[in-house]
Amino acid sequence: MNVLKTNKKLQKEFNGKVYAAIEDGCIILRGELSEWNDVVRACQIAATKYSKCHVVNDIKTSPPLFSVAKKYSFFDNSLDGRTPDVLIIGGGISGASIARELSKWDIDILLVEKEADLALHASGRNDGEVHPGIDLGKGSLKHKYIRKGNKLYSKICSELNVEFHRFGQYACFCNSWAKPLVWFYCLHRKYIDGIEDTKIISGQELRKVEKNLSPNIKFAIYNPSAGCVCPYSLTIAYAENAVMNGAEVSLNTSVLDMEVDNGQIYKVFTNRGVIYPKIVINSAGVFAEDVAKMAKDRFFSIHPRRGTNSILDKKAGKKMTAIASVKDLSIHGKSHSKGGGILHTVHDNLLIGPDAVETYEKENTATCRESIETVFSKQKMTMPSLSERDIITYFTGTRAATFEEDFIIEYGRKTKNLIHCAGIQSPGLTTAPAVALDIEKMAINLLSPIKEVKRNKEFNPIRKGIPSLRKMSPKERSEIIATNPDYGVIVCRCEEISKGEILDALHSPICVPTIDGIKKRVRPGMGRCQGGFCMPLVSKIIAEEMKIPLKDVKKSSEYANITFGCTK
Amino acid sequence: MKQYDVIVIGGGPAGIAAAVSANDENSKVLLIEREARLGGILKQCIHDGFGLIRFGEQLSGPEYAERYIKELNKRDIDVLTLSFVTKISKTKENLFYVHIVNKKGVDTFLTKALVLAMGCRERTSKQISIHGTRPSGVFTAGTAQHYTNLLGELPTKECVILGSGDIGLIMARRLTLEGARVIGVFEAKNTPSGLTRNIHQCLYDYNIPLHLSYTVTRIFGEDRLTAVEIMKVDENLKPIKNTEQIIKCDALILSVGLIPENEVAESLGVQLDNRTNGPVCDGQYMTLIDGVFSCGNALHVNDLVDYVSENAEQAGKNAARYVNSDRCLININSSDDFLYTVPQKLDINQNNSNVIVYFRSRKNREKTKFVISVDGKEFFSKKYSFLRPPEMERVEVDFNSFNLTKSSNIEFNLVNF
Repeated sequence: MNVLKTNKKLQKEFNGKVYAAIEDGCIILRGELSEWNDVVRACQIAATKYSKCHVVNDIKTSPPLFSVAKKYSFFDNSLDGRTPDVLIIGGGISGASIARELSKWDIDILLVEKEADLALHASGRNDGEVHPGIDLGKGSLKHKYIRKGNKLYSKICSELNVEFHRFGQYACFCNSWAKPLVWFYCLHRKYIDGIEDTKIISGQELRKVEKNLSPNIKFAIYNPSAGCVCPYSLTIAYAENAVMNGAEVSLNTSVLDMEVDNGQIYKVFTNRGVIYPKIVINSAGVFAEDVAKMAKDRFFSIHPRRGTNSILDKKAGKKMTAIASVKDLSIHGKSHSKGGGILHTVHDNLLIGPDAVETYEKENTATCRESIETVFSKQKMTMPSLSERDIITYFTGTRAATFEEDFIIEYGRKTKNLIHCAGIQSPGLTTAPAVALDIEKMAINLLSPIKEVKRNKEFNPIRKGIPSLRKMSPKERSEIIATNPDYGVIVCRCEEISKGEILDALHSPICVPTIDGIKKRVRPGMGRCQGGFCMPLVSKIIAEEMKIPLKDVKKSSEYANITFGCTK
Repeated sequence: MKQYDVIVIGGGPAGIAAAVSANDENSKVLLIEREARLGGILKQCIHDGFGLIRFGEQLSGPEYAERYIKELNKRDIDVLTLSFVTKISKTKENLFYVHIVNKKGVDTFLTKALVLAMGCRERTSKQISIHGTRPSGVFTAGTAQHYTNLLGELPTKECVILGSGDIGLIMARRLTLEGARVIGVFEAKNTPSGLTRNIHQCLYDYNIPLHLSYTVTRIFGEDRLTAVEIMKVDENLKPIKNTEQIIKCDALILSVGLIPENEVAESLGVQLDNRTNGPVCDGQYMTLIDGVFSCGNALHVNDLVDYVSENAEQAGKNAARYVNSDRCLININSSDDFLYTVPQKLDINQNNSNVIVYFRSRKNREKTKFVISVDGKEFFSKKYSFLRPPEMERVEVDFNSFNLTKSSNIEFNLVNF
């Protein structure tokens, strides 16, 4: 984009408080504004969608609005002096899938994650949709990976033993007049953009399959390849398979700084010692810009965008077995998110959301009432019988969006032993399997001149996972209980989770012996009572199995204690 | 496959009483309990006040349960503990398959009648729209009670209690006795939800303030809870702007209502009453699915365990006497002055000479008459000097004396006198 034109627009909108300059192939924005929404607006004016020439946001705010990654007060030397071939920063879906694909090679892989578990941010706080790509045209990385990623899901989920269903997606329209337009749109998507499963169905056909969708829906775009997955289960499964194949995952490990010289990262400072990696992969989500800065390779900016989803009782899950949303044509093209929808999850709940709200706070995952109200009022157009009364929980995540609204999957521009997997927002979960394969190739390319890279002969792509007893036939269930009676002791009544499954989670390749760690792996506490009955029982099982006092059983992080020790 | 006359699901006070009374009617009974020990929630209710009506004594929860367990053990009743009902299905012959899982594997039993006595669960923070972060330190009162009384672990040192339900009040006292500081009990309604005796014995006696017309709207803290935001609410229970106050504490304890557990019932097609959240039932406490009975807190949330036992005994007895026959159900129409009334229907083919009716008034009322009329004519009335929503009322009624027919219009009303 012409920087003069940009500056003219900025001048008009912000009275000269903000200006753009082209430096090192980036558009740097400087100046001072008071509101975060203005900062976002200014950067959006300067940005060109899907461009590789990124906006870097150096606009100051008064008072200052910035958000730093949570730092850990504890330090140890457990990683000090480690010299991994590949250091992956960030244990979300990107980092975990990259670690797994790289574990096909006989190399030393270390993944560090600052939180107490994997998938604690965007990867664990999204709707779990495996998108068909119906909203994506050629020219973006999102489009480049979407079909490949979508197709890979069947294979990857069967290898990693993660539940995945192609429930299909309906993008619904209430205006008959829009049908010719949408018909052309679909033809384009199908034949030019390669979204080959696209078809249009009438409202009647739709309601034959999904009775509870609005009678106002006149027609819908149907993509049968759309699916649902549990996003944190998949992340954990990827990471576990990587660990089984020799990779190391270090949780509670925060990257604090780097030493970069001559375009090479030499040292990575963490709260657990200094790491000397051969190459570094930046998959740090909302903190990817911060990592890029430490690596002296900052050429993009992340503007976090919050989204809140609600989960409804399984009783409501019976209302629909698909993914559906009404597309409001009046706002079409203005919103960067998919606009939210209703989704039948792999666990048979309904999930409603998300919305999209800009925020400067990268880790603020607090929910607010307004988000729920917005999302429900919108989705009641899709399904009139939707009720807030069926809500069992809600959560917020922050998308790691760039101002160009596309992924950044490339080698460092200045720093040579670095690969960025950044700007990963929706449909990043869908594209992850395909992106990981490409990053695997890029990493091996980088490593090959430095060391001889051989195949990992012992690589096993199959992860067995923890058996899910509630889904077994009575015969299968009895047989497995005969081998381990703990599988017959139900601890979580809402989700029907046995003690045996909880113990399996405590013995899994990446053991996270906390209430949330167990909840993410085998689901006690995910049901309608939200752990009211089972939390004390799970606490006790963890304490007994890990041989720790009850007061040392935590909800999530080291500081999230549940109790304060013995009563009088 | 083992076959029973009556299978009772749930080994709390309701289930035990139902099993005992069904057995006393000479039927073959199986009691299924998912926990290792019988007694249900009474196991963690170590405070006293149980049994005043039944035994004329003040017992603790475990003591009350023990009396019934003793009765149970005297009888030839099959009991399965640590056994979880996964599914119930109906046969063509109007019998029921009950599928369970336990340490031995999966098993199935056949029964003529079912008594559902699964109790209730607590409403959670998300169900009352509390927002903010998700730290540790948010407990329902029952969960806090489990940690304190069964595991011997202190869940808080300084807490805010939201809701003045009885368990919340009991926990306010219990935590105070354990050395924790209860900053206050906040109640969104303008009247307390718990029993008057608990307001006095658990709050006032310990100088714990009760704040009416306040609610908690937000939770703070990344790891452990650090504070909550409270707001004043208007008469529609909606928070009033600019009344926000932040209170520092390490826990939020919720006592904001109980929901009867009826997921198994619903899977059988049992119709629920949206006033009680329990099944719609007739004078025998049989649900609208023939052969399926409901009792205790699964039927409606009781205020005293004594009533749970009484109601469960009736349900157990009726389940044992159950023969599949045509029902002739007529509605009992109760006015909006009631929070709810139980039963909601009557089967006029049955003997209704001694039906126990339970009700709660929607509002605090003085000098009120509970009136039953049939086709506009008053047949029964009982006077109350006051009625309060937290206090459930119980009336024995001889409906046989009303000469009911298929077309009778039964009405329950509350009128001032």
